[in-house]
Amino acid sequence: MPVPPFHPRAESAHHQLFDRILERVQHDLPDAVALAVTVHPRTGGATEYASCGFGSAYLAAQLSGLGGPAVDAAEYQVPVLSLELWSDDRWPALTADSIIDRVSGHDDQVRSAKGAASVPGIWRSDETVVLSCLLNRPADAGTMATLVGYEQLISAALMTSAAQEGNDVADMLAVLQSRGAIEQAKGMVMACLRCDADEAWATLRRASHESNVKLRVLAVALVEHVGRTPAEQPGNAAPIAPDERARKAARLLWAVLSRAFRPASDDD
Amino acid sequence: MKHAWFAVTPAAANRPALVVASGDIDLANVEEFRTAMTKACNGSDALTIDLTEVSYCDSTAVGALFSVAATTTLTLMIRPSGNIKTLLRISGLDRVATVVTKE
Repeated sequence: MPVPPFHPRAESAHHQLFDRILERVQHDLPDAVALAVTVHPRTGGATEYASCGFGSAYLAAQLSGLGGPAVDAAEYQVPVLSLELWSDDRWPALTADSIIDRVSGHDDQVRSAKGAASVPGIWRSDETVVLSCLLNRPADAGTMATLVGYEQLISAALMTSAAQEGNDVADMLAVLQSRGAIEQAKGMVMACLRCDADEAWATLRRASHESNVKLRVLAVALVEHVGRTPAEQPGNAAPIAPDERARKAARLLWAVLSRAFRPASDDD
Repeated sequence: MKHAWFAVTPAAANRPALVVASGDIDLANVEEFRTAMTKACNGSDALTIDLTEVSYCDSTAVGALFSVAATTTLTLMIRPSGNIKTLLRISGLDRVATVVTKE
């Protein structure tokens, strides 16, 4: 069976954003020796968006056909936890040596690695984004709880970068909409300002107050503005239809957020 | 898609808190599932979740179960075979929670 391609680093103007997110994950998981954000198309293969430690080699080994938590998280669309990766019977071929073969200078770190976790994120219907970590201690349910907490930020960061690159985001928007517009808008603000959830929430509330537009309506308008398409709102509640004032408030907020984002971006 | 419901029984002297879940648990109702687990857990350090009538759990539901397992002693009741059993094995949830089977 041909091995699907693995692209070590996506050519994205926004890779810095993903690097910053991984810095935060590293802060919350100080025992992590490898971290990676990868995007896996349904057709196979994967592209790395960011990594730290020997994250790149860790993912390359899994994608070379050995399998592993990240591959299973993408394939089965569930979070995958391994308490002790090198002795886990789910991936007998994934060994410390298989990773050492792909990277130099990390031998001791690779051998002493223990727990692993990968969590899939909602992004587009034909692709899955996966956040993976490998720790130098056994993993536990708390490891997964930490990663799950970052999944929404990663999805929002992908959406933000796709929107800024002018991609068609209608598909991912439809998928994302069901998560709740406020959470989504909060994720966008977090991704843009690189702030935490509390600050993002305060930013949205301030914008809502200043524009005299209800927070929920502003959130829907913001999601629609960034996606440039009407938001689908499945569910029992009556759908929110932002009026012109809400749309204007969303445009203003996004303009401010985009400017805040730009200095750290490349040359645009 | 099967409509989901969650029945909460708080802990009593002789048994841990219990949540009986049924149907498909996904994005549409994962908040309801989280609320049920929090309500059942209230003040107790052990929780049993009966998943024998659950037909499907998506990624967010599995994530919610991991989060509960991080702070409580979690027991999951499942059928001896079927997709929920497979899901627990693939995700590794069966390594952080006690799994008991029930016909």
